[in-house]
Amino acid sequence: MILLTCPNCGTRNVSEFRYGGEITKRPNPNTATQAEWANYLYVRKNVLGVMPEWWCHQSGCGQWLIAERHTKTHEVLKTYVWEARPQE
Amino acid sequence: MWKLIRHGLNGNKPLPRMWRTHDLKDSYDVVIIGGGVHGLAAAYYLAKYHGITNVAVLEKRYIGSGGSGRNTTILRSNYLTPEGVAFYDESIKLYENLSVDLDFNVLFSQRGHLTLAHSDAAVRTMRWRAEVNQIQGVNSSLIYPDEIAKLCPHLDLSEHPRYPILGALYHPPGGIIRHDAVVWGYARGADERGVHIHQLTEVTGINVENNKVISVQTNCGTIKTGMVLNATAGWCSLICDMVDVKLPITSHPLQACVSEALKPFLDVVIVSGSLHVYVSQSDRGELVMGASIDPYQSYSLDSTLGFLESLSGHMLELFPSLSRVKILRQWAGVCDMTPDYSPIMGFTPVEGFVVDVGWGTYGFKAGPVSGKRMAELIATNRTPDLIAPFYLGRFEDGALIGEKGAASVGH
Amino acid sequence: MAIQAAVGRLPETPSQVINREKIVDFVFDGKTYTAYEGDTIASALVAAGVMTFSRSFKYHRRRGLLCAAGACPNCLVQVGDEANVRSCTTPVQAGMKVEAQNAMPSLDVDVMSATQLVDSFLPAGFYYKAFIRPQALWPTYERFLRQAAGLGKIDPDSEPGYFDKIYKHVDVAVIGGGPAGLRAALAAAKSGARVILMDDQSSPGGHLRYRMDEIDGLPAYEYVAKMAAELVGFSNVEILTNTTAVGRYDRNWVGAVTGNRLIKLRTKALIVATGAYEIPLLFENNDLPGIMLGSAVQRMIHLWGVVPGARAVVVSANRRGLQAALDLIAAGVHIEALAEMREEPDADLIRKLSAEHVMIFKRTTIKRAWGIGKVQGVSLESLHSGQIHEFPCDLLLVSTGYTPANQLLFQAGGKLRWNEQIHEFTLDMLPSDVFAAGEAAATHLLEDIEREGELAGLQAAQFAGFGGKIEKVTFLAAKVEERRAERIPWTQIHIAEDEAKKDFVCICEDVTRKEIKQSIQEGFDSVELLKRYSTVSMGPCQGKMCNINAIHVCAHYNQKTVAETGNTTSRPPVTPVTMGALGGRLMEPVRVSPMHDWHVKHGAVMMNAGLWKRPDHYGDPSAEVRAVRERVGLIDVTPLGKFHLRGPGVPGLLERVYTNRWQKLDVGRVRYGLMVTEEGVVLDDGVTARLDDDFYYMTATSSGASGIFENMEWNLQSGWSYDVHLLNVTDLRAAMNLAGPRSRDVLAKIIQGVDLSNAAFPYMSVRQATIAGIPVLLLRIGFTGELSYEIHTPSGYGLHIWEALLKAGEEFGITPFGVEAQRILRLEKGHIIVSQDTDGLTNPFEAGMEWAVKLDKQDFTGKASLLMANQKGVTKKLVGFEMPDGTIPEEANQIVRPGNGPIGLEIIGRITSVRRSPTLKKVIGLCWLPTEMSEPGQEFTIRVRGQMKTGRVVPLPFYDPDGLKLNS
Repeated sequence: MILLTCPNCGTRNVSEFRYGGEITKRPNPNTATQAEWANYLYVRKNVLGVMPEWWCHQSGCGQWLIAERHTKTHEVLKTYVWEARPQE
Repeated sequence: MWKLIRHGLNGNKPLPRMWRTHDLKDSYDVVIIGGGVHGLAAAYYLAKYHGITNVAVLEKRYIGSGGSGRNTTILRSNYLTPEGVAFYDESIKLYENLSVDLDFNVLFSQRGHLTLAHSDAAVRTMRWRAEVNQIQGVNSSLIYPDEIAKLCPHLDLSEHPRYPILGALYHPPGGIIRHDAVVWGYARGADERGVHIHQLTEVTGINVENNKVISVQTNCGTIKTGMVLNATAGWCSLICDMVDVKLPITSHPLQACVSEALKPFLDVVIVSGSLHVYVSQSDRGELVMGASIDPYQSYSLDSTLGFLESLSGHMLELFPSLSRVKILRQWAGVCDMTPDYSPIMGFTPVEGFVVDVGWGTYGFKAGPVSGKRMAELIATNRTPDLIAPFYLGRFEDGALIGEKGAASVGH
Repeated sequence: MAIQAAVGRLPETPSQVINREKIVDFVFDGKTYTAYEGDTIASALVAAGVMTFSRSFKYHRRRGLLCAAGACPNCLVQVGDEANVRSCTTPVQAGMKVEAQNAMPSLDVDVMSATQLVDSFLPAGFYYKAFIRPQALWPTYERFLRQAAGLGKIDPDSEPGYFDKIYKHVDVAVIGGGPAGLRAALAAAKSGARVILMDDQSSPGGHLRYRMDEIDGLPAYEYVAKMAAELVGFSNVEILTNTTAVGRYDRNWVGAVTGNRLIKLRTKALIVATGAYEIPLLFENNDLPGIMLGSAVQRMIHLWGVVPGARAVVVSANRRGLQAALDLIAAGVHIEALAEMREEPDADLIRKLSAEHVMIFKRTTIKRAWGIGKVQGVSLESLHSGQIHEFPCDLLLVSTGYTPANQLLFQAGGKLRWNEQIHEFTLDMLPSDVFAAGEAAATHLLEDIEREGELAGLQAAQFAGFGGKIEKVTFLAAKVEERRAERIPWTQIHIAEDEAKKDFVCICEDVTRKEIKQSIQEGFDSVELLKRYSTVSMGPCQGKMCNINAIHVCAHYNQKTVAETGNTTSRPPVTPVTMGALGGRLMEPVRVSPMHDWHVKHGAVMMNAGLWKRPDHYGDPSAEVRAVRERVGLIDVTPLGKFHLRGPGVPGLLERVYTNRWQKLDVGRVRYGLMVTEEGVVLDDGVTARLDDDFYYMTATSSGASGIFENMEWNLQSGWSYDVHLLNVTDLRAAMNLAGPRSRDVLAKIIQGVDLSNAAFPYMSVRQATIAGIPVLLLRIGFTGELSYEIHTPSGYGLHIWEALLKAGEEFGITPFGVEAQRILRLEKGHIIVSQDTDGLTNPFEAGMEWAVKLDKQDFTGKASLLMANQKGVTKKLVGFEMPDGTIPEEANQIVRPGNGPIGLEIIGRITSVRRSPTLKKVIGLCWLPTEMSEPGQEFTIRVRGQMKTGRVVPLPFYDPDGLKLNS
């Protein structure tokens, strides 16, 4: 079973977490074109490799965290809260 | 049958090869990526109905090694939306004649399909599906525990379970099939008509000039072509990345397992959406069982213990007498999920690049019809009405298909 | 009364595991047999002279004991209501009812065995080529095929039994308690790691348990028992016997089964020391009863004191084959001949065998066996000259090779590679936390096995953080590498030029070599396709017995090497596991309110609402509706999602998650709120009350509660910078709704601290007060359409308040009401239920809730989607309707018009809610219609139970359109 490290609770089984999906960038809803908005809502990179994604420690402390996880080997390279994310 | 007897009497002279191997040609009129039921069916119908035989089917492993060989072989057309019902109904009709059409027994067994309802809301959804089905000419009805008991006496229909069975959508034409046989039959039919099937041939790139496909690169060489059909499952995003076509798709594992062989006791296919279980008993006597997709994106084909645990628990809620039945083997496939639980078929912004992707957990059911209609699309350069609702642009247009409610455990 | 005594037993020895003092009777196929305590079903049956254990899958051939290790399909039996029980690993219990499987009508006379007479008409995949025309007959053919399918039987009255699960966490887990596993566990334990050792037998020792040869001056079984005893002395070691590890999953998550219990183990480092499977040889009639693997014979002799024959022929290709021959001699069996496949077999053992006057043929294999119902003789063939020697026998011992039991290593991601030097598959590229030792790594010589075990133990401990013996590890690693390079083959596989009759590659599925050849000719030339077409390795053994032979045969016909041919995927579980053990105790949680017992006691009919149990009604929902409309009623609404929101950022958060405006909600006021997804789809609704400057109270639907809470948390934790503290109080608060024209009168009797007058406490406002000293929150809202108060109180006081209200309401005729009455009441008032009246694509404009969407807000979840939807306009609408002729349609009936469909109808809408209103005395409901048909007065056609009925659009709400009741 995949292991994820919650910043508060430590390393736990993935069964304690709710998946939140790929991290997306939300366009300004007041100026976004239909295409930009649809892109944000639906299009996903679906990478084969390491991907930052949201997880919620649902059966634990309720923390939302970001995991950088490999989508084939399931290796989790790191986890962090939003504020600690690497700057673009 | 006579062929078998002749073969037996002939001292078992070698039977003819089902499909041949070829060297990769420099160019093909159509290149189909993916040697599963969708790709092979498209190749077969291109040759059969449209006389297009200069076709290559490229498969990176062996034919049927993806979703076509990993699904739980359930066929049905009892969908929720009129467009979904019409589409899958044509598929079932093609399946009904497939053994004769391919001269290969695909062992289609229309033993009836029951989708159980454990809540008032589920009963309402089942009635909704039954009503839509009946109006679309598909045989479905809502039945209650007394009738369910006759079709499946081993189910626990009492008040005792945590979620008692309140009713079921009964779909007599639904059933199971030998999935590999469908792949092999189409492969043979396509091969007989001149299609080249290339196994162990992996696409590594697609070349586009002036927004038009000109060639396909593979680990075995480059092929010139003006028409590429992406008929892959599990990896469709990676193929589309090669031509920069963006997809509203995430890939998730879907797991399944079989039990040891038992004397047949389960005639119908049983599906429970609330318990995330579907089960049928194959003609070999094995229980073939599956659940809903894993919640996270993944390209992994590894199985999980958690799947076996939850599936077994839920199976025993339905069938308490099976607690000593043993699981023999588990496996996983990769499913490409779309936001509206409906596939994406048709043209893309790149000329000469068409897609038949996003098949979620329901691709095998649709193999024949999507093969036939994608062949028609390629041959006529226009989208057949039956698959028009499933166009790629629907997400931007806000024209999603309302199948989500019925298909979340869509088996 | 036993009709057959346990006969043919050897004198007692210390290696035996049977207790001859305790005799147990059991029944096999109607006959009673006697066994000793410690016997398996198989050992007792062999001792009693039984040779046929089962009938094979396809041809119904007789099959006898082959591997005695739980791997092969031959000894599968039905035990009571349990199908497919491996009799060779299942202990006999007194009174056990054992039956043979797949035999019709009996094991001795099986009519289905006639199929082998027509086998040339039944090649691999014959069913794909038969029964195609006429199509109409296929279901009949299928029924016949299906009757022949399967092995054991299901008993529908079988009792579920008790199953359970347990978690374990260790530093080092060792799978397999043979010499490699014991050495590994000892090394890891000495390093200080917490260790678990699992072994699938009743005691550790592996193959040494049934071996007599001397090691360090002790018989093998004693030598290994000493090792095991040393391990028991460590307090940091747990030894689990009768425990089978069935799968290695992501991050060293290991599933294991012991009896009815599933063990879920997380280990830092995993050592796989699972040994090897002895594999059969390919020759004509290689499946006859009386043909046994060498290890099976040794088990029979040394563990249970059973001799499975009197005159034996031995085929050997390694040391253990020769040792097994010596064991037979010691047990008094006459060896007719010994065929040794190697050119230069182990001289020490050959000398001993010669001294016993055994006729030895070197470089010789077996060509065929013959016999009726059991082996009666064999033909041996010289691999040099082709010369044939024939011998009679009643036991053929085959000990010619091994395949490592490396499934766990494969599951861990190891890469299989064919090793031509030793004729076995080995695994490399193991992950850094997985180690292999001994026969699982294709090492068979004891001293090498022990060294590999010790190395793996040290390395695993080191990986888990218990290091320090770096020099020793380096030394052992070098030595192991050196020895591995010098390994000689223990496995010989001989594929004769021509296929013989009935040489079974796969005994589970009855696949012969000829069928494999034919499948390859037909194009199924890769191992994976071959497996799927011929079904080789698809049966109960999952390839343990047949895989290596199948790959060799495949390579042979493809004229390729085994390395080029490759292997198929090994999938979990390693051995079959019961669904009971996997499912464990069935634990489906139930959520109940503090008033649950009261409901049950007062005759409530309970219903499931997600995880909650709720009263559907107390006998007469219509009467409950009338009570609310005319007097006063009380409903338990505890399942509502309930949240505390505190902090200066609350209005901002509410603006974000709701579609309507929240900046100006005064303290003491309540507002309805609607939530949509980013796609603009109606998600949930509820109310939020402002209790204090920075303190708000929110409710959500019971099914949406946890999701809504997590989504709000996401909004707080994903960079939106709202200063809010959120608390989910769903489980901490009981809630009930007091509804009806007399509700104020009821409250007035028992409430303190609040002025209930309409002016002081108007509709859509909130007050905090006390009832009998208990703090309560009063929300004056009206889902039912009547004057009503939703009362929230700490869960522990829920029942107290409930009963206090009922008591106070007695004089007004208060009536408890359930979900069904509430559904009618809300429908009369025209309120929607999200997800019943809406679906996965509904936006608020279509649902007639545009009043709750403020598109001029700066931003909110779903804003852009709703901007676009608003621009596009709606094509369908949710409207109210009534049935002029009084027909009651069913929810989900479709609204149709004439069209091109198969029955001449086109679907244009559907009914989402419908009830006969006890208040209005007519049939009312909500339905979806095309916008152009949605004006009040317009009529439409509904297909109700196949009949066409007319409905008419009417304005909403049906009841009290001006809201006088709510504001009264």
